[in-house]
Amino acid sequence: MNPAAQSYIHEARDLLTQLEQMLLDLETEASPEAIDSVFRALHTLKGGGSMFGFPALSAFVHHFEDAFDRVREGKIGISKPLLDAALEGRDHVIALLDAGGDEAATAELVGSDQARRILAALEGAVAGAPPAVVRLARWEVSFRPSKGALRCGMRPDLLLAELRELGDCRVRCDVSDLPVLENLDPAQSHLGWVVELTTAQPRAAIESVFVFADDADPRIVALDQDEPPAAAAPVEMPSAETPATAASAPAAPARSAPRAQTMAGQDTVRVPSAKLDSILDQLGELVIAQARLNQTAARLGDSTLEGLVEEVHRLVTGLRDTTLSVRMLPIETVFGKFRRVVRDLSTELGKDVVLVTDGGETEIDKNVLDRLSEPLVHMIRNSADHGIESAADRVAAGKPAQGRVRLAASQDAGEIVIVIEDDGRGLDHDKIRRKAIDRGLLAADARPTEAALAQMIFAPGFSTADKVSSVSGRGVGMDAVLSAITGLRGTVEVTSRKGEGTRLTLRLPLSLAIIDGLLVRLGPDVFVLPLIAVEECVEFDVTELTRNSGRRMLRIREHLVPFVDLADALEGTVENDGRRRVVIVRAEGERMGLVVDDILGQHQTVIKPMSAYHADLDDFAGATILADGTVALILDVAMLLRRLGGTGISLAA
Amino acid sequence: MTHSSAATVLAEEDSNSIALIIRVCGEALAIPVTHVHEVIDPIPRTRVPRASSFAPWLINVRGAVVPLVDVRQRLRMPVHAANEGRVVVLDITLGAESFRLAMLADEVQEVVDIDPGAIEVLPENGSPWPSNYVTGALRRGDDLILLLDPENLFRPEQAA
Repeated sequence: MNPAAQSYIHEARDLLTQLEQMLLDLETEASPEAIDSVFRALHTLKGGGSMFGFPALSAFVHHFEDAFDRVREGKIGISKPLLDAALEGRDHVIALLDAGGDEAATAELVGSDQARRILAALEGAVAGAPPAVVRLARWEVSFRPSKGALRCGMRPDLLLAELRELGDCRVRCDVSDLPVLENLDPAQSHLGWVVELTTAQPRAAIESVFVFADDADPRIVALDQDEPPAAAAPVEMPSAETPATAASAPAAPARSAPRAQTMAGQDTVRVPSAKLDSILDQLGELVIAQARLNQTAARLGDSTLEGLVEEVHRLVTGLRDTTLSVRMLPIETVFGKFRRVVRDLSTELGKDVVLVTDGGETEIDKNVLDRLSEPLVHMIRNSADHGIESAADRVAAGKPAQGRVRLAASQDAGEIVIVIEDDGRGLDHDKIRRKAIDRGLLAADARPTEAALAQMIFAPGFSTADKVSSVSGRGVGMDAVLSAITGLRGTVEVTSRKGEGTRLTLRLPLSLAIIDGLLVRLGPDVFVLPLIAVEECVEFDVTELTRNSGRRMLRIREHLVPFVDLADALEGTVENDGRRRVVIVRAEGERMGLVVDDILGQHQTVIKPMSAYHADLDDFAGATILADGTVALILDVAMLLRRLGGTGISLAA
Repeated sequence: MTHSSAATVLAEEDSNSIALIIRVCGEALAIPVTHVHEVIDPIPRTRVPRASSFAPWLINVRGAVVPLVDVRQRLRMPVHAANEGRVVVLDITLGAESFRLAMLADEVQEVVDIDPGAIEVLPENGSPWPSNYVTGALRRGDDLILLLDPENLFRPEQAA
């Protein structure tokens, strides 16, 4: 495929992503600007399509462009059927793009029932659409061409004619600057105009009249108080230095970052993520080499060298931060698509559910983000399906009929915290207990805490839904979610209150390539514990290991925490000098103490994947190279705890 | 033109039939030099807990983490802890995947030309070495050189 078509496909995908957001935005607020941007997106799609070998796509989009042109002109209003059709149409366009210009596949898509159905729905929506609510606004538009403007071919009469096309105009001519007759240079402009314009068009439409006449010092002032909110406070147009169009950019408040990015599109470079990956790999090597350099310099004790090493250290750190930041994307890029998920789900389940998002600007590594969206979809589906009750039940329980799923992201120390919260019925702990006993996950007489019960929803094949819907209830899902999140070296915790809702808290590392680790020693071996999983380190009383009762519990303040000798778990040897330490780690809501010989300190670690020979060893998340050049294994705390949990301790010994 | 391409073909044939002879448990093993990346002196190795005895360690080869393999397990030779020989770094390609590994050798001896005509097939029964790992043998004086099939011998999924 030629590069131009390739780049069209890239751009079209971006555009389609934004289009989905714009359409969803229209549902809540149909400002003229929002309608305009939908129209422009469709127009661009269509134009590019016919230019780069996607005539079928272009023809398909044309119908939608047409429809939104009519909306723009105020002939029809925004309606749910129209947006439904447009959203489905957008999905169909993606399919057309995926066909990649392949004629047979394209023809099949074009002739498909689905395409026909979408277009019929669109036609129906357009025909049945309510007339648009025309909101007339009054504007005072004044402009005064510069003295030399006429020589440059400026035609004030054309500007006035264009303004008249927008709506009803009352034009006054300002002759205050007109000189006396003997001083009059007929080739110069001396006049100004003040136009009182009544129009349904947005401010941007008036501004666009002056796109090529911005030296005419156009001023646009809203005369009515009820100016459409998107155009905000009646500020004057920026003066002649700023191009008139620039004013439309800040006009849309920072509601959606992706759109802001398109505005700045000219200044960005599209880079294949593989290149970024390779930069990061090399950076990882650099960080390791840097650590070794530090150590060597410290050994040599040469002050000139040490100064230089410090300088290099500073540069490498800077380079690392910049490189990592390049790979960071606002989490909003995935949040966006969940609005659609929830919208479609509401229809499918016949519930009224709204998705509220928070902290969309939180940035997260692209690799993490890519692997995060599937599990998040699962969890949101679960919340909407299992969590949120039917409207009738909600009202009966004294809740608002509309269910709410909240998705919030934030950054907390070196990790990303994502919370998925619903205000639904909450987990039924008794039911989980019964199911767990049924499935043999729990002894019949066990009395686990509510938190432990809640965590059981992550067990494979576990579902408390009585009936299976198309959405969820098959019990595949939450265990997949858990393994996806653990695969990202993150953790999930669930808390729930009956009748009040459920909250899932995800903690994820900022980046997959570099982690902060705690170095621990076990006899001759050194292991790395990801710092994200470490809660605290305490001195260990060796006599605890020799308790006759077989009890393996530590009292950490008011809690009892089970512990394991890491040497047993990892078949290691212990340096028996009687002084050992214990690292309290936490994963998947479980805490455990790992007894080690010594704690060597913190270390920023570049993760290297395990070799094919060791891929079946779940205990390790990867390997790394230490400052002295030796290899150390990075423990996968969640997997280790799963293995050691329950009966695992005796198995390992 | 013809001459140079003929020379390339010749060179390829040559490199295929040139092998590095190493000794493990007293036996001479031949590994095609195309697979050999380098030979290094022993360096600190990191034990991988619960790993198979075929690949029980990791080492750092010029900034890369590389598994250190002990072929004795697969060749049904006695495995004992002490081993202070040399480390041979190999590149193995399996399908589209290519990876690097290191193997322990008691001794690295020499590079020899293998005459394909002189290769003897090992008897089906009586040979202690699995035939998918050892493809044949070569007599050299009193010595028996075992020809290894590196792709099979180092295939990770048989590690169990």
